[in-house]
Amino acid sequence: MAKKPKIPVKILSICGSGVVTSSMVANKIVELLGDEGYDVSTVEANPSELEGYCMREKFDLIAYSSPIGDPCGVPALNAIGLITGMGEEEFVEQAIEIFKNAGK
Amino acid sequence: MDLEMLNKDLILLDLDCGSSDEVIRTLAGRFVEAGVVRESFVEAVAHRETVFPTALPAEIPIAIPHTASEHVITPAVGIAVLRHPVEFCQMGSPEVKLRPELIFMLAIKDPKAQIGLLRQMMKLIQNGELLRGIKEARDAGEVYDRFLAAIKGE
Repeated sequence: MAKKPKIPVKILSICGSGVVTSSMVANKIVELLGDEGYDVSTVEANPSELEGYCMREKFDLIAYSSPIGDPCGVPALNAIGLITGMGEEEFVEQAIEIFKNAGK
Repeated sequence: MDLEMLNKDLILLDLDCGSSDEVIRTLAGRFVEAGVVRESFVEAVAHRETVFPTALPAEIPIAIPHTASEHVITPAVGIAVLRHPVEFCQMGSPEVKLRPELIFMLAIKDPKAQIGLLRQMMKLIQNGELLRGIKEARDAGEVYDRFLAAIKGE
């Protein structure tokens, strides 16, 4: 039987520097949501770049490890649990719910 | 992770500091002495901690201070085991105060190239047994060996 095609989703990963922690988070999200049938692409950025990115591109989810201002209408989840490993499942469940609500 | 990134000179045990700022500057100073970062790294990593704190509620509370890659010469990881926990703010929730006992300082040059290191760091952060082992280690050699064993044990 042919494998079900993966559902593409795009995630904006935000941390203070827009580099180190957001890369850790992005990497983890690709792995965890990949297991759930999603083809995840990620962009890493810092909080001040958030608005610009959201104006240029359409994201399905923002994962943040530093406080963010206005998420520009994009659903946002705190991603600290992905780094500590405590709260990974909740993050995945909430992300999937967000994607399903958006018809993905 | 390339174990060359963890240098025994960057492992400080029983570090006796009164504040998070002192902890960060002491450990960052070792990075400068080891020649893996520019002198500007010390101020940059200390300042960044005040704006974007890095403490994490792992099994043993930890902090992972780091800063922009322009201050980094060679990728490196350093560890400080604190004699007394000092107050740091939690990453993402600065209003939450944690009292880390272990500090993992990261000098990252290119996150895409060092994604293996970052991935490995996350596994280590999530390894409570390793964190306890590092806390109880008697010398830098033991910390290094425990780190190595945890990486090889995967």
